[in-house]
Amino acid sequence: MIAGMPSRVARAALAAAAAALLACDEGLHPITCSGICGTVTFAGAVPESTQAVYIVAYHTFPRSRDSLFNFQPPLPSLHALPLGGVPTLYNIPVEPGRYEWVLAVWVKQGFNLTNADSTLRETGYYRDPADTSQPGAVTVAGGPADTINFIVDFAHMHPPCHYYNPPCP
Amino acid sequence: MRLLIFLGLAGTLVDTAGAQGTAVLYGVVTDTLGAPLRATVRAGDGETAADAQGRYRLHLAPGRVAVRVNHLGFAALVDTVVVVAGDSLERDYHLQAAVVELQPTIVTAAKHSQLLDQSVTSVALVSDTDLARRAVSTVDEAVNKAPGVLFLSGQVNIRGSSGFVEGLGSRVLLLVDGVPANQGDRGGIDWDMVPVADVDHAEVVKGAGSALYGSAALGGVVNLITHDIPVGFHGRLRATGGAYANPPYDAWQFRDYTGGLGGVDATGSYGTETLRGSLTLGGRHSDGYREQDRSNQWETAGRAQWLPAPGTRVTASGAWTSHQYQNFPTWCVPGACDTRGQAFQPFMIDNSGRGSYTRSNKGYVAATLDRTSSPSFAWQVRGSWLRTHFTDANPDDWSVANRLGAELRGVLHAGGGDDRVFTVGVEAGHTGVTSDIFGDSGHVGDRTEIEIAPFLEAEQRLGRLRVTAGARLDHVSVDGSGRATVPSPRIGAVLPSAFGTWRASAGRGFRAPTLAERFVTTRAFGFQVVPNPGLRPETAWSFEIGNSGAFASWGRVDAALFWTEARELMEPTFIVVDTTPEIQIRNVSRARLRGLDASIVVTPVPALSATIAYVYLDTRDLTRDTVLSFRPRHVLTLSSDYRWRSLSVGADFRYTSRIERIELEEIFGQDPRVAARVLDLRAGWQQGPLSARILVTNALNYIYNFVPRTLEPVRTISVVATWTY
Repeated sequence: MIAGMPSRVARAALAAAAAALLACDEGLHPITCSGICGTVTFAGAVPESTQAVYIVAYHTFPRSRDSLFNFQPPLPSLHALPLGGVPTLYNIPVEPGRYEWVLAVWVKQGFNLTNADSTLRETGYYRDPADTSQPGAVTVAGGPADTINFIVDFAHMHPPCHYYNPPCP
Repeated sequence: MRLLIFLGLAGTLVDTAGAQGTAVLYGVVTDTLGAPLRATVRAGDGETAADAQGRYRLHLAPGRVAVRVNHLGFAALVDTVVVVAGDSLERDYHLQAAVVELQPTIVTAAKHSQLLDQSVTSVALVSDTDLARRAVSTVDEAVNKAPGVLFLSGQVNIRGSSGFVEGLGSRVLLLVDGVPANQGDRGGIDWDMVPVADVDHAEVVKGAGSALYGSAALGGVVNLITHDIPVGFHGRLRATGGAYANPPYDAWQFRDYTGGLGGVDATGSYGTETLRGSLTLGGRHSDGYREQDRSNQWETAGRAQWLPAPGTRVTASGAWTSHQYQNFPTWCVPGACDTRGQAFQPFMIDNSGRGSYTRSNKGYVAATLDRTSSPSFAWQVRGSWLRTHFTDANPDDWSVANRLGAELRGVLHAGGGDDRVFTVGVEAGHTGVTSDIFGDSGHVGDRTEIEIAPFLEAEQRLGRLRVTAGARLDHVSVDGSGRATVPSPRIGAVLPSAFGTWRASAGRGFRAPTLAERFVTTRAFGFQVVPNPGLRPETAWSFEIGNSGAFASWGRVDAALFWTEARELMEPTFIVVDTTPEIQIRNVSRARLRGLDASIVVTPVPALSATIAYVYLDTRDLTRDTVLSFRPRHVLTLSSDYRWRSLSVGADFRYTSRIERIELEEIFGQDPRVAARVLDLRAGWQQGPLSARILVTNALNYIYNFVPRTLEPVRTISVVATWTY
């Protein structure tokens, strides 16, 4: 070592390198779920006019047309469910929080934002294990909400206004 | 006695020089105690090694010449001499013992040769030693470790200049021996344009460089300097073989074999005093480290030089690369493939991207005439043709771009010295694009862009202070109509002091929208991307104050504070057209980038060297009041090399803090993102003409990504064997 070279410089560099190396097990790891995930099971025949089926989550139950598009994840992040008939794992990357309604939305061909009431259908939702007639609330906090399983039933679909207050006729 | 010998030698040299119309520089190199040194002496285009008695001689073109004398373990010595045709000049040099090389010569920062400490902006060098140690296979690997430089999925950033814009436009200009080489259609950089075997070293000029280089130099300039062609026959054969690590978790396995890579390249050159030529041929294959990631590449490059008279050099050069590679657009998430129960599969491809590949052919030819008319004036004229042609499958797109460029430049050293220097010139370019994606709203169409730009920069010494001021005026027209006229001024100063050399500069940079950004029509991430012919150039003011110098006999520091204010940044933006969301490139942002760029090089013993480089980046999108996307706040790079006889070992470690914000946050914002910690190891052996190196990049097999759903390379082990003649 050259005389005069501060040994603390070398020690600091070695300490920085060692600290950085010790932290090297923090890369990406396998994650079985993020946000909300589970399995959907299909029932009924898929309508010929189907454009896609998406799974979305609402913080608060949409009781009017104004709140129909206040769901997570945002539109660009939606992935269509594969409609092969076999149970399918799904995963929607949502922000932490409490969600009152997690449902599958059937989208008819020709959908746009102005004809949503006639081209969207609720086609199944996660139900409260204690009262299966009611939607089940899901909380994402500090970790994913997994096993949020439910049935997508193409024989029993409802338009958005079915849930409005007041509901449509 | 020595005097008599040299008097006789000088007489012989005078005769020889006079006969050939050249000048001769000769002398002896010793240390300060008088012991001879077998030093390397470079001057003009010539280079020689002193003999065992320290004696050297060089044939030179007459005129004013910078002489540089190097020897391992001694501080480099730089001298300026004026030699006359038919005459000879004796210069003896005495080198001071030192372990840190000082004062490299650069050619990019001011568009003429100058000492590094004379540059008003920060310049990072990737030396031939760095390239040899790392035995890299591609040019971007070589540039990536330079202080202040960070590649994000193949896109270069200098102090956070570019972020990541999917290859549509680069805020860094690539030069190959001074010839602009950004793509004519997309404005991005094909780092495989030039075989790495041909690259001698690289200069990275940081901050706005538009005052001399125009558009694309908004964030900096990377100049690849190719090898000089020596006199006599020389050759090099290099073979590479290696393997990629498999995924570190069983849940991510995607193939039942180990992916490999390999390649071979050969270079041959022959030179005389007046004619010189070189040719490189090479090919590479890679299985890739992910699903659908194979690539094959063939490349060639050549150069010819003619030195018809003292002070005159004609150079013709060119390169051509054909690269076929599979694309991995994004990794897989549930619903997009069989994820086997995983929230994401980083090694597996989203089914929508299956079958995607690119055939990319690219190349350039350039010709330059350099003429040193007198000891005080030199000029250069250059012409170039750059062609890129890509064909994509899924989505099916293609584009052919031809860019013709020309430059006439003169450098005047008023009074024959360095006290007052003027650099003046004019640069012009014509770009023609035929494409189905950048053409006419999704149909095949032609686009044309013409640029013309005069520039002037003056340097004046005032005592110890050296002041620089200049400007360039770029006029850009598209399809025959005027689009923009952009002035790019720059001022700067350099002040040597007892505490190192201070530098300060303020310059304006700009980037004209590329033809791709104006006219692109395609689909990305499931959305239609629509053209925006009305895009305006983005501009930025860059300010910098820095200091560099040796703080001890064993160490050197370079540090700079920088501040950039950018306007009209072009970024992909979601818009809603008839209730349908679409993506369009728009002028949307005012932005601020500021921070610290510092590096320390220490050589505690001659065989050991180490570098610590750190960039702190504070960015703000002033329009949205958020941090800028794709700009990590901290980048720390540690490098060290040790040599013992014919063996050497080394390592690089880079920490890149977690990227706080990404573009299209609405789509990818919930994806996992981590800080990057990457360790590269290397070992080498050299004996005579043979050398072998083993490289382990990402030795810890750290799994990370910078760009959404795009995995960065895993651990790769490769062996490189080289024979040099």
